[in-house]
Amino acid sequence: MEKDLKEFQAAGVRPVAISVDTPEQSRDLCKKAGYTFPLLSDPKLETTRRYDLVHRGGGPEGNDISRPAEFLVDSTGTVRWENFTEDIRVRPRADQMLAAAKAIP
Amino acid sequence: MPEMNQTRGRSSAFWWGLIIVLLAVASNFLYWLRVPQRLIPWINLILPAIGLLLIIIGLKRLWPSGRLWAKILGIVVTLVSATVFAFSVWLFVHVRDVPGPAGAPKVGQKVPDFSLADTSGRSVSLTELLTNPMENASRPKAVLLIFYRGYW
Repeated sequence: MEKDLKEFQAAGVRPVAISVDTPEQSRDLCKKAGYTFPLLSDPKLETTRRYDLVHRGGGPEGNDISRPAEFLVDSTGTVRWENFTEDIRVRPRADQMLAAAKAIP
Repeated sequence: MPEMNQTRGRSSAFWWGLIIVLLAVASNFLYWLRVPQRLIPWINLILPAIGLLLIIIGLKRLWPSGRLWAKILGIVVTLVSATVFAFSVWLFVHVRDVPGPAGAPKVGQKVPDFSLADTSGRSVSLTELLTNPMENASRPKAVLLIFYRGYW
């Protein structure tokens, strides 16, 4: 992800990651992976629920987590592109997202 | 001379099967490469099946002429390959066990606003993310929201 960051920024896209992890856990991940984009915490899944992305019992201890999903949102808050993977190992294709970003005036 | 060729022909299915099972295990790491990802889950499933089948066929052919230690080794290899295949089936089903995004915002819809804590504990809103300038000092055209399972 971090490698794609320069490409995203050049296309005017700001990546923001959201998960059920606490800020401390996200800090650890940031350090380990060297991420420089924001990682936001939704520990009570309030936002995840509003986006209807809750995966009940999907976590390691049977806890609720978010299912993987990506949304490209323009300055009016409108979705321009989104991706919901069927297989959690398959990563989304950056080229489709970047094409959608280019199409934003 | 003909006998040698016959033995080679009989055993090749077994060894090919073993090679394919090893490739099957390696194929689980294809996700780390920058290759088209859609087909990889199917490769992960089909390779162990083919490998196991060849191993069973090969072992059946080798069985009559094999010594005891070879028969034991053959059975062990078959059992390990069967385990690899069973695991690949379980994994295939398990990673697709994800709820559908029926109520999620669709293309053309507005997303719900939010205010969440970043890694330093500071609260960040979607509006801020859409308007604050990026590192290259320009305003973002768009924000890519990446919901992920978490770090574990």
